[in-house]
Amino acid sequence: MADPMVQSIHRDPALFYWILFPISVVMILTGVLRHYATVLLQTTPKKQELPALREQRSLLRGINLRSNCSAISSTAFAFRKQYLVSAYKDGTFLKDPENRGKPAGNPMTDPAAMEGMMGMMKGNMAMMIPQTLIMGWINAFFAGFVIMKLPFPLTIRFKSMLQSGVATRDLDVRWVSSLSWYFLNLFGLQSVFIFILGNDNAANQMTQQMSQMNPGAGAGMFQPGQDPDKMFQSEAENLEVVEHEYILEGVEDRLLASIE
Amino acid sequence: MSLSSLLRQSSSEALSLSQQTAQYLQKHASTGTSTIPIPILTYPESTETWVMYEKLFLSSLRTGDDKAALNCLEKLMDRFGATNERVMGLRGLYQEAVAKDDAALERVLQEYDKVLSEDSVNTPIAKRRIALLQSLSRTTEAIDALAELLESSPTDIEAWTELSDLYLAQNLFPQAIFCLEEVLLVAPNAWNIHAHLGEVLYLSAMNGNENYEDRILAEATRRFCRSVELCDDYLRGYYGLKLTSDRLLSIIPDDIKPKEQVGTVDNGELPMFSTAVVRKLNEQASFKLAEITRTSNSSYNVAEVISAKDLLGRSTHRRQR
Repeated sequence: MADPMVQSIHRDPALFYWILFPISVVMILTGVLRHYATVLLQTTPKKQELPALREQRSLLRGINLRSNCSAISSTAFAFRKQYLVSAYKDGTFLKDPENRGKPAGNPMTDPAAMEGMMGMMKGNMAMMIPQTLIMGWINAFFAGFVIMKLPFPLTIRFKSMLQSGVATRDLDVRWVSSLSWYFLNLFGLQSVFIFILGNDNAANQMTQQMSQMNPGAGAGMFQPGQDPDKMFQSEAENLEVVEHEYILEGVEDRLLASIE
Repeated sequence: MSLSSLLRQSSSEALSLSQQTAQYLQKHASTGTSTIPIPILTYPESTETWVMYEKLFLSSLRTGDDKAALNCLEKLMDRFGATNERVMGLRGLYQEAVAKDDAALERVLQEYDKVLSEDSVNTPIAKRRIALLQSLSRTTEAIDALAELLESSPTDIEAWTELSDLYLAQNLFPQAIFCLEEVLLVAPNAWNIHAHLGEVLYLSAMNGNENYEDRILAEATRRFCRSVELCDDYLRGYYGLKLTSDRLLSIIPDDIKPKEQVGTVDNGELPMFSTAVVRKLNEQASFKLAEITRTSNSSYNVAEVISAKDLLGRSTHRRQR
């Protein structure tokens, strides 16, 4: 094609005032609302009980001993190893020693795990409900409108992205349909939200999805359903096979060598 | 984190910081006051703001400006609520600071006990209670409480360091060394802890342990070596290295040969240094100390530089004699 014919569609300026503008405003407002809704729905992280804390930190101590054993002399290491291994094997640090050996309970029945799940549910709801509503709203009122023309040319691949809801094969890619404008807003308003709400806002769904990738990254090392006793046993085994090396061995030679 | 770094700051820094308090409070008077926070309109709230408040609070307390401290504390309480653990700890600190006599301190202590009986996981208050026991010079109780705290949270570096200091004050060297080793297990590259452990070892060698003095001193020397290996130009490390190697030179025989002849490592202990190595380390430490004292800039603690000069002066004096 030598000279692609420039398509021109005569648009009613009212399309701008009654579709493009309202969709953008509504999207921004929902974002702000979602932010505050999430803030309100947030439950403060529940405090851990002392035995649970002790269980976790004791395991952490073993891990620290294993990875940093070079910092202490072999006598000190052997002493600590003996103590920790026997305590791990006896289950001294367990949160509830009488549950030892029993299979781990269903995470659904564990109230602590339930709470975590509820929190996740709430987050999901705050994201899903407005999305569904607005999508329905746009579909019901504005489906099939071509509302704007991008000021730059695009390849044909963008057609499905920019013209969803408008099933016209020959329409130039530069025309944007109302439904697509909604999607563009949905994904592209992050910087606007940062401007309005500050850096750590909950309005954007991308961050929400990110946080769902690793839920409970800071919630401690024990995932629900994991048997702490097994973790202690395996840590005891790990400790027993650690080869000790003392960092102070030959440190004087290293120091003198580094100076000369 | 910010707390510990704050303790390291010199008095002049604390003073200048606390003098800014009033200004800062005025500037940020609006922070967190409006009920509906609209971030564009108000000063953006950030973690740093509140960390700053905490720092201002602590340095105001240090410089005796109780009124400004109370201002900061009120801000923090407004924002985080009086039941926030960290704020509770700060509030306790304030109450201790304004307490006039021991009876008032006892009352604060009872308050802590009450809080802890309701919520035993409240670490800031537990730590305040221990510090208060210390300042009431009930050291054994403080040690007991710390041991209890560490039983439930054995990875708390701050508590281990504190416990080691307490043991050291009681001349219980093996216990103090144990605690410092625990700290090193969590933070193996903390050069200051390596040097501190060296200091404790040196002290324990100087106080009793006649038979093992050379072995303990060798261990202390190695600790100092490690500390200066981790941190170049670390004044305390070189100071300790100089001190221990001086002492070591005076007690070991002049003709310890290098390792090969002495034999391999037995029962886990490292072999004794050869005399030549100790001498070399000593020379190196003197050299470095002289360099540091000569070019000392503001990054070094003045008192430490002075005592390093003193040590150097003593040893040259002895040599001349």
